[in-house]
Amino acid sequence: MSRKIERLINLTIALLATKRYLTKSEIFRSVEGYEGSAETKERMFERDKDDLRSLGIEIEVGSFDPLFNDEAGYRIKQEKYQLDLGAITSTEVSLLSLAAQAWQGASFDEAAQKALLKLNSMGVPSDSLSLPTAAHKIDDGGGDLPLITKAIAEQQLITFTYVDSQLDRHQRKVVPVGLSSRSGFWYLSGVDQDVQEIRTFRIDRIEGEITSTKGPKDFEPPQGFDPARVFDGSSSQSFAIIDVRKGKGTSLRALATSAQSLGEWDQLKLPIYNLNTLASLVLWHGIDVYVQEPLELRGLIVAQLETLVSNHG
Amino acid sequence: MGKNFSAPLERTARLLDLVPYINTHQGIALKDLAAVFEVSNAQMVNDLTTLWMCGLPGYTPLELMDLDFESGYVNISNAPTLAKPRSVTFDEGVALILGLDLLRASIPTDRSDLLEKIDSLSARLSSIINLNSTFSVVAPVNQGVSAAIDEALASRSSLEIEYHSMYRDEITQRTIFPIEMIQVEGQQYLSSYCYFASDFRQFKLDRIQKAVVTQESKTIPEDATDTQRINSRLKVLKPTREIAERFNRQDLKAGSEFDFQTYSQQWLERSILSSGDGVALLTPPEIRASIAQMAQSMLDRYKAE
Repeated sequence: MSRKIERLINLTIALLATKRYLTKSEIFRSVEGYEGSAETKERMFERDKDDLRSLGIEIEVGSFDPLFNDEAGYRIKQEKYQLDLGAITSTEVSLLSLAAQAWQGASFDEAAQKALLKLNSMGVPSDSLSLPTAAHKIDDGGGDLPLITKAIAEQQLITFTYVDSQLDRHQRKVVPVGLSSRSGFWYLSGVDQDVQEIRTFRIDRIEGEITSTKGPKDFEPPQGFDPARVFDGSSSQSFAIIDVRKGKGTSLRALATSAQSLGEWDQLKLPIYNLNTLASLVLWHGIDVYVQEPLELRGLIVAQLETLVSNHG
Repeated sequence: MGKNFSAPLERTARLLDLVPYINTHQGIALKDLAAVFEVSNAQMVNDLTTLWMCGLPGYTPLELMDLDFESGYVNISNAPTLAKPRSVTFDEGVALILGLDLLRASIPTDRSDLLEKIDSLSARLSSIINLNSTFSVVAPVNQGVSAAIDEALASRSSLEIEYHSMYRDEITQRTIFPIEMIQVEGQQYLSSYCYFASDFRQFKLDRIQKAVVTQESKTIPEDATDTQRINSRLKVLKPTREIAERFNRQDLKAGSEFDFQTYSQQWLERSILSSGDGVALLTPPEIRASIAQMAQSMLDRYKAE
């Protein structure tokens, strides 16, 4: 095994050090470890190239002189091989270290630690930047994030079973475009292939495995999509007017876009995303919250209250 | 992680990463180096021995790397081709970009210089890994709050907090003695002794609106007791995801019944109200009556106007 590793390292060094493309025969002649029949060497070399590529090392194929039909040559470009973050300061190294530490115990932990090792190999000392980050650890709840980020990068199609608000399970086919976290939950946004519109899914409501396959060929990522804005109310069309007793309804107040004082009560204006969700939140607050508009929401709440009275009377 | 390299490939990657690391940490103790790369000392000696055989074609002493580790301290020279660290992989880049995004929330408002650095690092990493999409991580916790909690936990002192209690729907001032941070279903809680409730409580981190470390030393009273536990029975009428998540039931079937225990009558009442026509409380009867009465008085107001 050691011999294969030595050969891979020697091949990397030779392809990095060369100023021009090395042909296969030059490689077989000069790089240590290529032995056996022509066919064996050929097979070895093909395997080695694949192995280096799977480690993320790009091998370029080219020829000495494009005018002549030369034998193909190989090299690894230093600028592609090396970590190049430009001129980097101690403070920036500290920020990157803190960023890596946020993954402690979560799905990208191993990748973050490997990245950290590379940063520490740059020879730039980090300064002792003190930030209150100890409570900020990324919690991913499951191990699906690497699969999703890869699908986003490669515009793959992902398929999964999603539990909707009525507890029904449907298969969804989505080309993901964004990933965001909010209050400890991860949300995945993407173009739902059945409706060709952007939908957002809470990842822990996905049941079973997520599978990824090659994405649609003509996929065009939506322009100007910002996953952070999924939550800020700018996508809502309609609003509710709700009275909330002073000092109460903190979670409703957090959703309000405007508020005015009416003595004992405050009147809030809230964006409506989902009528049932809002009705449920209003009911949670009991007699401290009263819906003025829209009629549809009032009707829904009255119907729920009538059922509650008859169920518990 | 997504990819699991075979053992020889993993070792190849390690050897490639060892060279730049030793290069910038000349004279590092062998055992420290082994610890950094998370391998045994024997494996590290193996790795260094293999590296020692590598170099430029020709493989005369002039072309081989000079590695010295017999003294127990490691030095390297003559390794210019591998001297710089390898570029980050896709996963490594994504991990850093998401981590940087989370970091944004921790930056004090007067340090816009750091925010600019975060943006610029993020952009540089995105271009290295060819990423056009945006990721966003929002830290749910106020930075001043998390700093105070860290300090109180580290110095074992008590905290004065302003807490928004969801099921009482009130903001209360409390003095608490924090014990540890715990995670429940992806949410962070601060497990504490609460002097206000004279009992142990778990505070959801994103509902702590303010936290200040107090100077007075307090301890947890020895006679701290449990409050009353409520045993209830519920009937599922219309199963919804909200009800499943609220009562932590995996599978809900219309018409089925289940037992549920809680310490808070208010939480139970609000949960039933909020579930509307989805569930009915069967027992205890006094809470049933209280729910019916609350629903009736709400209904009266809607009917009056």
